[in-house]
Amino acid sequence: MSLSEPAPAPTPIATTRSLTKVYGSGGTAVRALDGVDLDLVRGELTAVMGPSGSGKSTLMHCLAGLDRPTSGTVVVDGEEVSAMGERALTRLRRTRLGFVFQAFNLVPTLTAAENIRLPLDIARRPVDQQLFDDVVAAVGLGDRLDHRPNQLSGGQQQRVACARALISRPAVVFADEPTGNLDSKSAGEVLGFLRRSVDERGQSVVMVTHDPRAASYAHRVLFLADGRIVEELRAPTQDSVLATLGRITAEETH
Amino acid sequence: MLRIALRGVRAHLVRFGMSVLAVVLGVAFVSGTFSLREMLSGTFDDIVSASTTADVYVRVPPSDTQVTDGGSAVTAGGLPLGLAATIATADGVDRVLPSISGPIVLVGADGTAVRSSQAPSMAVGFDPDDHTVTLTGRAPHGPDEIALESHTLAASGLAVGDTTRVLAFGQPRQVTVVGSVDYAAPMAGATIVVLDEATLESLYVVDGTVSSFAVYADQGVSQQTLRDHVADTLASAGTGTATSAEVVTRAQVIEQTTAQIDKQLGFVTTFLLVFAALALFVGAFIIANTFTMSVRQRMREFALLRAVGASPAQVFASLLIQAGVIGLVGSAIGVLAGLGLVQALRSVFAQMGMTLSDQVPLRPGSVAIAVALGTLTCLGATLLPARRAALVAPVEAMAEQTSITERSLRWRALTGVLLLVAGVLGVVWATGHPGADRTDLVLGIGASATLIGVLVLGPVVVPAVVRLLAVPLVRWWRPIGRLAAGNVVRNPRRAANTAGALTIGMALVGATTVLAASTQASVTGMIDQQITADYVLRADYPDNVSEAVVTGARQLDGVATVSPLPYAAVQVDGTQGSVAEADPALIGTSLNVPMVQGDAAAALRAGDVLVQKQKAEKAGWAVGDTLTFTGPVGSTTLRIGAIQDSAVLGDIQAPPGTLATLVPSQQVRSSTVLVTLAPGADSATVRTELVDLVKPYVVVSVMDSAQFVDSMASQVDRVLTILYALLGLSIVIAVLGIVNTLALSVVERTREIGLLRAVGLGRLQLAGTVTVESVLTAVTGTLVGLAVGVGLASALPTVYADQGLSQLAVPWASLAAMVGLAVLVGVLAALWPGVRAARLKVLDAVSYE
Repeated sequence: MSLSEPAPAPTPIATTRSLTKVYGSGGTAVRALDGVDLDLVRGELTAVMGPSGSGKSTLMHCLAGLDRPTSGTVVVDGEEVSAMGERALTRLRRTRLGFVFQAFNLVPTLTAAENIRLPLDIARRPVDQQLFDDVVAAVGLGDRLDHRPNQLSGGQQQRVACARALISRPAVVFADEPTGNLDSKSAGEVLGFLRRSVDERGQSVVMVTHDPRAASYAHRVLFLADGRIVEELRAPTQDSVLATLGRITAEETH
Repeated sequence: MLRIALRGVRAHLVRFGMSVLAVVLGVAFVSGTFSLREMLSGTFDDIVSASTTADVYVRVPPSDTQVTDGGSAVTAGGLPLGLAATIATADGVDRVLPSISGPIVLVGADGTAVRSSQAPSMAVGFDPDDHTVTLTGRAPHGPDEIALESHTLAASGLAVGDTTRVLAFGQPRQVTVVGSVDYAAPMAGATIVVLDEATLESLYVVDGTVSSFAVYADQGVSQQTLRDHVADTLASAGTGTATSAEVVTRAQVIEQTTAQIDKQLGFVTTFLLVFAALALFVGAFIIANTFTMSVRQRMREFALLRAVGASPAQVFASLLIQAGVIGLVGSAIGVLAGLGLVQALRSVFAQMGMTLSDQVPLRPGSVAIAVALGTLTCLGATLLPARRAALVAPVEAMAEQTSITERSLRWRALTGVLLLVAGVLGVVWATGHPGADRTDLVLGIGASATLIGVLVLGPVVVPAVVRLLAVPLVRWWRPIGRLAAGNVVRNPRRAANTAGALTIGMALVGATTVLAASTQASVTGMIDQQITADYVLRADYPDNVSEAVVTGARQLDGVATVSPLPYAAVQVDGTQGSVAEADPALIGTSLNVPMVQGDAAAALRAGDVLVQKQKAEKAGWAVGDTLTFTGPVGSTTLRIGAIQDSAVLGDIQAPPGTLATLVPSQQVRSSTVLVTLAPGADSATVRTELVDLVKPYVVVSVMDSAQFVDSMASQVDRVLTILYALLGLSIVIAVLGIVNTLALSVVERTREIGLLRAVGLGRLQLAGTVTVESVLTAVTGTLVGLAVGVGLASALPTVYADQGLSQLAVPWASLAAMVGLAVLVGVLAALWPGVRAARLKVLDAVSYE
């Protein structure tokens, strides 16, 4: 396991081609995604931004196999997600993907440690104790492992969720507004951890957010509007993200 | 508010469907019980009025010298047959018929006795002038002809013109079926053989006396007028028996008989209603559960209502209205289902040869009671959840997640422990004081308190048991076991309520099973020890082993002794009782008689009687006291010579020859004959000979001691089957409770299920989790229930050792089967909720509104 050197592989970790998602039909049809072509770089933290209703959540759900595209293809780590059946999707989520949601990330009846191990238990795979200790140390939860979710603060819960997302060594981690419910200090801890997992372990992470500060932790920010990618920023700062967002919103209103 | 309440029911039909089903089942049982009772009593009333056709009856006053022995005894004598002529001289009398009937056995086309379960088999006369009776073919004439009641004819497989045999007092006779008769009402499965009057008299008239005369009036003479005329005529005739006779009208006879039947049916009704109450109680659990969960989910809705100005009373009322609607709908369907249930029972009875009244009457009063019970149960079960909903703070509507504060279990635990301790103390006290005045009462209250205590303690006990049971699953079946166990214990009250419904039923099952096994073990143990005869010739009640069989058996080679144990119903010191004859030679050869005081054989040889220990204690008899026995024939006074403690002999045994001085020979019953073999005789040969000997007497069977023991034990099994069937219903309702809880908790956990699926839980794994939850709940409820039931039943042999329950037998195999059943029940209950959970869309579960 290489902890120090990010592996700059030329192949993208996830690709979409002409990805289209239409909700409803006829006059009330809504094109949430409208022909998105996208390559997500392996070993990068990619943020997806956009105003409400821009399709950023739908994009992530399609990437993660939680939702089926109306047309177009999604390939994650060499496998075509858009063509998979329910069984294959379950296996994909179990072995290749990690998830961090905005809230309700943990099973309330399980302890923190059990929540972290959950994907491995479900897949009936042994726990790599070294990795487990590593991840737990990284999120700084060593003394909280036997606590139930309701005994943890919001930030601690999200850090447990991050640890769980990493424990199965997924090809890519999807984070949906991971800091949406957190105060800025806890948010900083969670984002810092996600970024370090990319820098130090070469983990690929895709994060949907509407928080410019969260986006500033990314290597690359994609901006969505009306189901299309309209802008892209590399090495973003909070200011450049805000400026881009402002421009997109202004274009929309015209 | 009313509109909101009604919309609420409509919007959550599935959720409330469970509650409705629970009410339906409970109410169906209640109304079914009522209408079954109505149907039975209607059937018997019809029989009474159809068989009571005369206008006036002259009879021996009941409860004087008349002794009843079941329904089919020979009626005791009292009124000379000649009295008919005197009665006929009264004004307004059309005709007078002596009432004669008696037990008879009819041999059907298949060579076995025609018999339906508990109904009597009797011979009656034929009155050609009775217009309520329809005759097909012709009336029997002479001793070789019979007619049969039409249902009896159908059940026997015989046809008019066939020849067959009948047995009166064990004596077989060849007869020809010459006709069939129909009475005005179905006879509820009674086997009815019609003989001509002369044959009937020769068989059943004792010493030229009968118990009553049926008097028919001339055209236009009322029952009352006829009664007065007959009474006057008898009074002026002035003979002793004639003046002691009672003259009653048809209406009076019907009224008295019907009252007696109703009293007996009242017992059946009470028994069934206990189970109906159980069903409703378990149903109330489910209803309360449903409302609790529904309130929990709709907290924000209530908070919103409160925020826009609804008062707590309005919120409370809206939930009660919902409960009322569910209660009414469920009860209405339940009443209909109850009627269906009784119709089904009726056809089952008809299959078994018991024809019942074809009307299923249901009085408006019964309907009202059933509906009221169902609705009130529903309302009662809603009170607590409704109160909680009413007290929700309006600000909760704004909160992201509604907080539901779990009340502390401290008070509940304390109450439960107090009840449990009090209950156990009561039971322990009862085991220490068998036979005391209040033992039964204390035992009953103690047992109830123990069960209720355990139920109250449920939220503490159930999670603990679930955790214990789940240990291997948690260890070996990751993460399913862990998730499932966590889900069950997450809400201790709900888990306890769900399992509690099963606990009640299973406690009764456990207690019944242990009680039955102990009774069987005790009875068979004692019979085994006390009957040492090689073979037992046995006729089931009300049949007899005839004298000819006894004589025949005595003549067989290899048979040493043949001893009948005849008995008869007589009055003992003025109260009704029964006395048996015992040959002193029996004691020590065919019978082992444990003695409390004195020597059995010596006492009988000295002409004294033996009395049974419990009977002696109850009546205050001691050795040396004298008892006066009175029968229709005569009276005798005998001394108590010894006290026995036998499980197979009856209350009183007198020396041979006693019965003949008390009752006419027709009233002596002989159901058991003990046979011992001569030394060196071949057991199998003798058996074959005995079987051949009894073959013509279709009702007699030959049993060795093991078979005799089995036949006694099988009687217990029969009672057990009925109890299990009734308890089965409460378990069905409990299963609905599990389905209900699972379905609702799946809905509640939508988000969590979505999360689990997102991190890779497969559909099968998810369904597996729900199934394990279900099985854990079912097995826990069963184990707790069985533990309580078995524990309580274990106290019984200590308390009732004196009354023949001497051994404790715990049928582990049956109990294990119950646990196995619980696993099955758990799997079945999980089917629907499991499928529902697996069908949840992952995206719906994880995305935000």
